[in-house]
Amino acid sequence: MTPLPGISIRVLFCSILCLVLLNPSSARAQDNYEIQVYPSETMAPKTLLVELHSNFTVEGSTTTQFGMLPTERQEHETIELTEGINEWFEVGFYIFTAEKNGSGVQWVGDHIRPRVRVPARWHWPVGVSLSSEFGYARAAYSNPTWSWQIMPIVDQTIGRWYWSINGTMVWNVHVVPPPADSTSQQKQFYYTNVAPKGVTFGPAATLTYAPSKYFNLGVEYYSYYGQWGNFVPLHYQQQQVFPVVNLFVSPKWEINFGAGWGATAGTDHLIVKCIVGRYFDWSHHRPGSSESTQ
Amino acid sequence: MNRRTFIAQASAALTGVALASVAPAWAQSAPDVKLEIAPLALEIAPGKVVHTVAYNGRVPGPLIRWPEGKPIIIDVLNRNTIPDIVHWHGLFTPVDMDGAYEEGGRLIAPGTTFRYSFIPRPSGFRWYHTHTWAGHDLRVATYSGQFGCFYIESKADSGAYDQEIFLTLHDWNAYMSNSGDSSMEAGYEYATIDSRMLGFGDPLRVREGQRVLFHILNASASMIHWLALAGHEMTVVGMDGNAVPNPGPMRAVRVAPAERLDLVVTMNQPGVWILGESRESIRRMGMGIVVEYANQQGKPKWVEPPETLWDYRSFAMNQPATRQPDETIPLRFESKFHGQGAFDTWMVNGKSYPDTDVIMLREGRRYRLQLVNRSTDDHPLHLHRHTFEVTSLDGKRLSGLMKDVVVVPAKTTAEVDFTADNPGATLFHCHNQTHMDFGFMTLFGYDSLPVPPRNRRLCEPSQRAVTPHVSSL
Repeated sequence: MTPLPGISIRVLFCSILCLVLLNPSSARAQDNYEIQVYPSETMAPKTLLVELHSNFTVEGSTTTQFGMLPTERQEHETIELTEGINEWFEVGFYIFTAEKNGSGVQWVGDHIRPRVRVPARWHWPVGVSLSSEFGYARAAYSNPTWSWQIMPIVDQTIGRWYWSINGTMVWNVHVVPPPADSTSQQKQFYYTNVAPKGVTFGPAATLTYAPSKYFNLGVEYYSYYGQWGNFVPLHYQQQQVFPVVNLFVSPKWEINFGAGWGATAGTDHLIVKCIVGRYFDWSHHRPGSSESTQ
Repeated sequence: MNRRTFIAQASAALTGVALASVAPAWAQSAPDVKLEIAPLALEIAPGKVVHTVAYNGRVPGPLIRWPEGKPIIIDVLNRNTIPDIVHWHGLFTPVDMDGAYEEGGRLIAPGTTFRYSFIPRPSGFRWYHTHTWAGHDLRVATYSGQFGCFYIESKADSGAYDQEIFLTLHDWNAYMSNSGDSSMEAGYEYATIDSRMLGFGDPLRVREGQRVLFHILNASASMIHWLALAGHEMTVVGMDGNAVPNPGPMRAVRVAPAERLDLVVTMNQPGVWILGESRESIRRMGMGIVVEYANQQGKPKWVEPPETLWDYRSFAMNQPATRQPDETIPLRFESKFHGQGAFDTWMVNGKSYPDTDVIMLREGRRYRLQLVNRSTDDHPLHLHRHTFEVTSLDGKRLSGLMKDVVVVPAKTTAEVDFTADNPGATLFHCHNQTHMDFGFMTLFGYDSLPVPPRNRRLCEPSQRAVTPHVSSL
């Protein structure tokens, strides 16, 4: 194994140990509050989607590190509200919570997410939208605390197949500093690999197949590569794969189930997720009426 | 009679009919109307040009106004690059003049003329349009500008109005769009009244105190539209060209693809108003026209009509039809999902056209079509060459409402009665172009006359073969 330039074997060993113990997935635990690959389509005007994201980490980090609680056996409940403003613009709002034996329900943080899309009438061969998410999460649950995410979304439906790619880039506006007694090299490693101050990259994607108009089956992929232009080694990246099923039992409801397997040491190894969403038509128009677009 | 025997007899009978009709006298006459099919760059608003196909270089095509019962000869010259056919919608035409390829009608090859000759009836507001197949090419067939109004004047027309205005609704630049229930439908970029977007056409000019008779045609390939004239009530006096038994005032009216409405409006609110789609999003796409009173100026005003539901029964008699049918024919409509990025295929009694069974009729008998819509879409259903009476809607009886298109809402059943009095193959289909293209059609046959030797369907325009036997005049 060739040491990285400028880092001694001892420092590297300690840092890697620290990294493993810390578990980068915990450092980015906010991602485990909204595990979803977004489509390019935005919410219809005057329509509100209320979603409950329920994510349970069956197997994750087990120790508290740098003030962050272990993720294993943690239940995350996130309420996501998405309101359609016009045919190409929506705004989403998140309320993150975490539950664990002994600590009860804890508020974790809030994010706001405006998103614009290329209108379908432009006839682009693929759907394209751009999401921007900004917000705060408590240091006990997330590092960074303040973050700003920019996410281009590209998707396409071909017959029964559907794919979507979310190019997630996060600017860590404020990260929790390393322990005060850290050496400068440890700090450098921390800010490079554990809680980078700059922009990080972690694409997500999904591929589904619809045997029926009432459900589809698919796979979702989530990742965290590390700092843009300076990715962490694969071993410490997050690589998660979720087999999922999406149910379309009614135009008013959306339901998603999945179980995620973390493929690297840096990932929570097993997460079970469920999203239940209900659409509300604020226009109060009766279907088929002179004001209804349904 | 089984299908094979029927087809054999039908083929023989068709041959006989063909031999008997060699060189009819009318073939030598000059036409009363000439239609020319040709591509058109249509400017629906300054800088907004739709590339389409139209009749006589305009959209809508020329208004054909003709006395009931007087024979008419119409020559259609096809200057387009693909074969075409013109359907005379709502008329009791002979089968070979109806303009439906599936009934055995002849395609008009590029560069040739076909002569239609028939006696226009019944009186009222009819229309004509191309009756071709679009499939995934959402620029052709009824997505195009190939439509026009056909008004058959009744000898008994009282003319209790001061001004008569024909208006056509159409949607342009279709694309595949998610319909909200996982299936795909056509979405549109623009919508127009008489081929102009709101604010860019000449206003309709009226005078205070006038009674204006509006003839409204929805020539959209698939969109149901709602219309309102801001500040005014509209009295529905006719549907699909037939007087309704119970005319009634409405603040907004619904008109489905291929449906027509006759509306009388008393002009008693001087000003400048908008006649347009009641839904803002579609009005913004362009569906509207300005109505300007004499000596009135200013910015056109829009007044939101109260939210309205459409119920055919409001305009019909609420008692059951007096004449009972001799036979009831159940027709069940369902769709088959092909993915969120594909159009569904449609089935009538479990089969998609052209694999549907031909349903045989006997001349003179009265039939009840039981239209069972098991799908999650509303369907505007059209019967060719006949008028039917709507006799029940979702289990509620009614009578007296005569139509040739009826909307059957999702998950409901409607019943319509008609008398088999116009022998020949008779097409029945959903007038949503996408639905009919993907299987939502079936054929009736009369046991006294043949139907085409096989169920015929058109293919993609680019692959459409030119049929023989096209007359070139």
